[in-house]
Amino acid sequence: MGWSYFFLYDGSKVKGEGDPTRAGICYFYPSQTLLDQQELLCGQIAGVVHCISDISGSPLTFVRLRKLKFAIKVDGDYLWVLGCAVELPDGSCKQLLDQLIGVFTFYNGPVSLAYESGSREELSAGWDTFIEQILSNTSDLHRIFNSLWNLDRTKVEPLLLLKAALILQTCQRSRHVLAGCILYKGLIVSTQLPPSLTAKVLFHPAAPRDQEPPPGGDALQEGGAALPPDVQIRPVFVTEGEAVSLHEFPREPVTSTPASAARLQEPSALRPPKGWSTPAPKENNPGHTEAMAWELATTPEPTSPNTVWPDGSGENGHWYGRDWESVGPAKPRHSARGRGPGLSRALVKEPGLSWGKEELDLSEIHIPEAQETETSSGYSDFPCVRAPEGADPGCEESGSDSGSPEPKSPKAPPVGTAIGGLLPPSAPEMLVQNGAQERLGHLSGDSSQAPVPGEDHPPARTSGPLPACCSDSGQTGTELPVGGQREEQCDDGGPESRPGPGPECDSGSADPPGNSPSADRTNSRSAPTSSVGLVRMNLYTHCVKGLVLSLLAEEPLLGDGAAIEEVYHGSLASLNGLEVHLQETLPQDQAAPAPPGRAYSFTHYDRIQNVLTANLPQVATAQDRRFLQAVSLMHSDFAQLPTLYEVTVSESCALMIETPRLLPSLPGTPPRLCTPAATPSRRPTSSSWRRWRGAPASRVRRTVPSASRARPGRSC
Amino acid sequence: MKCVLVATEGAEVLFYWMDKEFEESLRLKFGQSECEGAGLPTLEDQLSTLLAPVIISSMTMLEKLSDTYTCFSTENGNYLYVLHLFGECLFIAINGDHTEGEGDLRQKLCVLKYLFEVHFGLVTVDGQLIRKELRPPDLEQRVQVWEHFQSLLWTYSRLREQEQCFAVEAVERLIHPQLCKLCIEALERHVIQAINASPKRAGEEALHAFLLVHSKLLAFYSSHSASSLRPADLLALILLVQDLYPSESTAEDNDTQETDSFSPAEEYFTPAPSPGEQSSGSTVWLEEGTPPTDASQVQVAEDTLQTLVPRSPGPSSPRRIFLDTSVKENYCPMVPHTMYCLPLWPGINMVVLTKGPNTPLALVLYQLLDGFSLLEKKLKEGQEVGSTLRSHPLMGDLRQRMDKFIKSRGGQELQSTWLEFKTKAFSRSEPGSSWELLQACRRVKRQLCTIYRLSFLAAAPGRGGPHLPQHLQDRVQTLMQEKLTDWKDFLLVKSRRNVTMVSYLEDFPGLVHFIYVDRTTGQMVAPSLSSSERTSSELGRGPLATFVRTKVWALIRLARRYLQKGYTTLLFREGDFYCSYFLWFENEMGYKLQIIDVPVLSDDAAPVGMLGGDYYRKLLRYYSKGHPAEAVRCHELLALHLSVIPVDMLVQQAGELARRLGEASHVPLL
Repeated sequence: MGWSYFFLYDGSKVKGEGDPTRAGICYFYPSQTLLDQQELLCGQIAGVVHCISDISGSPLTFVRLRKLKFAIKVDGDYLWVLGCAVELPDGSCKQLLDQLIGVFTFYNGPVSLAYESGSREELSAGWDTFIEQILSNTSDLHRIFNSLWNLDRTKVEPLLLLKAALILQTCQRSRHVLAGCILYKGLIVSTQLPPSLTAKVLFHPAAPRDQEPPPGGDALQEGGAALPPDVQIRPVFVTEGEAVSLHEFPREPVTSTPASAARLQEPSALRPPKGWSTPAPKENNPGHTEAMAWELATTPEPTSPNTVWPDGSGENGHWYGRDWESVGPAKPRHSARGRGPGLSRALVKEPGLSWGKEELDLSEIHIPEAQETETSSGYSDFPCVRAPEGADPGCEESGSDSGSPEPKSPKAPPVGTAIGGLLPPSAPEMLVQNGAQERLGHLSGDSSQAPVPGEDHPPARTSGPLPACCSDSGQTGTELPVGGQREEQCDDGGPESRPGPGPECDSGSADPPGNSPSADRTNSRSAPTSSVGLVRMNLYTHCVKGLVLSLLAEEPLLGDGAAIEEVYHGSLASLNGLEVHLQETLPQDQAAPAPPGRAYSFTHYDRIQNVLTANLPQVATAQDRRFLQAVSLMHSDFAQLPTLYEVTVSESCALMIETPRLLPSLPGTPPRLCTPAATPSRRPTSSSWRRWRGAPASRVRRTVPSASRARPGRSC
Repeated sequence: MKCVLVATEGAEVLFYWMDKEFEESLRLKFGQSECEGAGLPTLEDQLSTLLAPVIISSMTMLEKLSDTYTCFSTENGNYLYVLHLFGECLFIAINGDHTEGEGDLRQKLCVLKYLFEVHFGLVTVDGQLIRKELRPPDLEQRVQVWEHFQSLLWTYSRLREQEQCFAVEAVERLIHPQLCKLCIEALERHVIQAINASPKRAGEEALHAFLLVHSKLLAFYSSHSASSLRPADLLALILLVQDLYPSESTAEDNDTQETDSFSPAEEYFTPAPSPGEQSSGSTVWLEEGTPPTDASQVQVAEDTLQTLVPRSPGPSSPRRIFLDTSVKENYCPMVPHTMYCLPLWPGINMVVLTKGPNTPLALVLYQLLDGFSLLEKKLKEGQEVGSTLRSHPLMGDLRQRMDKFIKSRGGQELQSTWLEFKTKAFSRSEPGSSWELLQACRRVKRQLCTIYRLSFLAAAPGRGGPHLPQHLQDRVQTLMQEKLTDWKDFLLVKSRRNVTMVSYLEDFPGLVHFIYVDRTTGQMVAPSLSSSERTSSELGRGPLATFVRTKVWALIRLARRYLQKGYTTLLFREGDFYCSYFLWFENEMGYKLQIIDVPVLSDDAAPVGMLGGDYYRKLLRYYSKGHPAEAVRCHELLALHLSVIPVDMLVQQAGELARRLGEASHVPLL
């Protein structure tokens, strides 16, 4: 299922009759291909692209031969072509090409610019290493789904994942820094970036494995004063959509907060109570939380949810405002949000500096709790990404009466708690602009409302509901789609945040308005390549042995020595600690083949985070190839049919009629049937993407596109 | 936005077909002015101009890479191009309106190629000769040939969209055993025997006769001496009849009566059986609103057809067609037959198939051509040269048969080419090179094809060749009309309500629709799904019926795709429905047989179906290899259930349904 060819062809170099085709070949993989062959492919495909686009009036994107298929992207005079084996689904082939182009553009800027300014040889060398890296690291399954390389979370102590998330959050609070991700040996440990951006960072040509300098990249040390050791800052180019999403949802840990699959699926309705773990700070600052609670409680009957969402901007404004107000200034408190007593305590002490110490505390915490905390912290930052497709009705209900007396019920958690969970997000750029965080005046906001404590906000005061939620989430998790929960959370938040008038509003209004979050999201994945509308940013990378911290920051970062220092020192100790722990916990050979006696093959693909879990070995057996074939067929169908959510296929005949129908002597024998799943010898392959359906809340459904399908890969 | 193009390696257009939208887009592209005047040649040239780069590039790739294009798609699948190379002809299908997938387009191309074979027989073997058939130098003739196939493609597209039997490519029978028996007797006595007993039959021997009500088969009878008719051929014949006498919804739109009432004959459009300018089926069909192309052009085509074939009774004139047979255990494809389509009433037609006295010649020619084709293949691969070739058993056999054939047939040109070949192949003094031999071999093949063409195409009944005298045709037609006259109205209604879902609802709760196919006999059973606006099915005729139709068609499409990739069971849940598909094998007694690994085909393989490539026959042959002792039957069941039905129950129902339908289908057809 590998690639056969990849080439970049510049049609503008071959205009006249006499121009040799080779003049237009910017890059050709594999480079040892005979030049004649290269010319043949480039020439023929460029010709066909021209011809078909001319007839159809829309650009040719795909060409299939008997033994080969080509995904094609036309970018002005440039032609990107990726040749794949025929077994790879067409859609995956196209996606892969988009990804390649996206990565190139990310590091080198628009292709025309890159090739005008840089030398072909240099860029080609970059391509070679980059492609080598991709090829050596992708399995067939990865190629089918174009998924990210993520750490096998079942093999990692969840607390480490939590820690990674916390490191990112800490960094986020530094000036200029927007969001980032942490990789370990080229695998994602934690990321706040949308999948498309994570992929670009992941394919970093100077990934930890080979410390080579990036291909076309001028390693930007020149401007800055000496960078701290192991730190690199280079300019990168993100698409406008990505840039907007980075700014608009500064703290959105879009992907792989190290929640395990099960946890990801817990109903978002349950999240609020967990988020409530933030109450930990409450103890420190009761007035603040009370104020919050009060505010929630006094929320006027929310205007119809429907009205809220269409103009997400305004609402977001509120939302952020609230966040700042409540959290922005209280960094220490914030980092202490973790619920586990040990952890929170440890963190509380000195969040920025004492990472090393708190590692000691890790041992005190037992896993379930840890997961719990981690989730809460991981997700609590979620701003309203978009409305859930199907919101838990209970959740909606509780939104209006947040003062409901039975907050412990996991089904209908007080919405106030949800908000608590949503506290931390702040918009760094805003902070920067404003300079002084105090300006956000959380105190003023609080004080104005503080006098009225929530009449009945048990969750706010007790951490009681937490354990319940925690266990509950584990149980229900499997039933719910991953996609739902994040959205749901914002859903919870949505109505609440609206009411809050006053100071927060102002600060909130500074948020870039008018961008539909969902639109951004989809864009970010589907159209990564266009050279128009690229935004320059800085990519800060800090390598600690196998561990890489990558942060996307606004451009001024490079010149801002103080900010760099801050990020560096803020994270160094914790990164070191994390690295040591990961090294200890992770099995030496990540790519070790699955245990020999596999009784089944399975694949779980999370479409939202674009990550994959599977038990296939590195080298596919014949049986695995059949499995892969089924998976790729289904994947294509799921991608094409929006209402499809369960498929079972079998090579065997499921319909076992063993009654001879023409023998009168056996007329009454009932036929014996064998369901596909029960056929012993040949295993059917089945896959289901359950839809999240129980959503009476229309608002939710309207705002969200069909993104909540997120559970493929059940194999019986 | 649909288009089909058949072109040579040099981008010469051998055939094209396009819909109004595509024509319009061409017009826009080339500007109005160029299009004025003669529309047809310009369209042809425009297509050739546009697609020549693709065709030439495709040939270049084949030459240099030994691989060639099979499919193009543009952004968002707005346009889809499917390319298929048959011999030296490149077939291209284009869709620009999202209505057809790759599978559909490829199937269309395969069906078109099959229709060429049905019309031209073994002449299709030779690239140059078929080029002449498809693109006669005479412009008028060319128009005529193209119009004919364009019309067939339209009919095929319509039937595939509207009729379940064409969607799954199997023959649908009208279920009425009593009437079927009656008809079979009538066909035997009053048609087959009557014709074969007539002294005036001009050497023609009636082999098969069958009755069609719309596109459904009422009864079929074969004479004892005839070999069995392949289901694919039968379905192709139904397509031809539907093309001659379109009988679907289009004809009803003019009518104000409800079909639900016991419909009198007037409800259906009646093409006059006698010749006349306005009476041909296709002309009327044009008036009914399914326009194939320009109405006036078709009119012209019909007229020219009639001038070329003087005194022929219009569309019902006998036609030369080529069908597969097995003569004395020898499989022989594309044996010339003559088809007589005799309309009894509108919507009810009788078809009689005869073979001429020179059928054995076809068999001999096929064997010789087959031998030379094999030889050509070996020469191309460069395996056999010189002495190895001479001593090859195939060569000895071929030489002997060829000498014998030359002796009996003569023919100077053939004789000289054969001599030339013999000197190159067998002479020890000056053995020809492999390449020379290949050329000589091709020349002999062409000569043989020419003889085939002269014997069967040039002397086709439509071109004045021997056929049953008109009065004999009239007689059997009248006889059959008399026999069926009491049943006529019943049949017309019955054909719309052949099988009703109501009878299954009680025993199969939750079942919405099903299609059961016996792939051994190539027959299917399914509750009627009305396709027209006027006729209502049980589901009514509103959006619900349309919705269910869409689901069923989508299921067929998906099931095919998975079967192509080797999956014989498919179960998926989409929206509020469970769709399931099962394929299994049984022996004669109905015992289920062990499943085998069904071959996994590439995306550019001939699609799963019967008309283009006959996938199921190959599948059965493949399976039978493992079961030489048994007669193997292959069945398919497609079912649509409400998704509230648990899967266990669904599978159980499917089994029970298959059992019940299997029993019913064992009622013999003869």
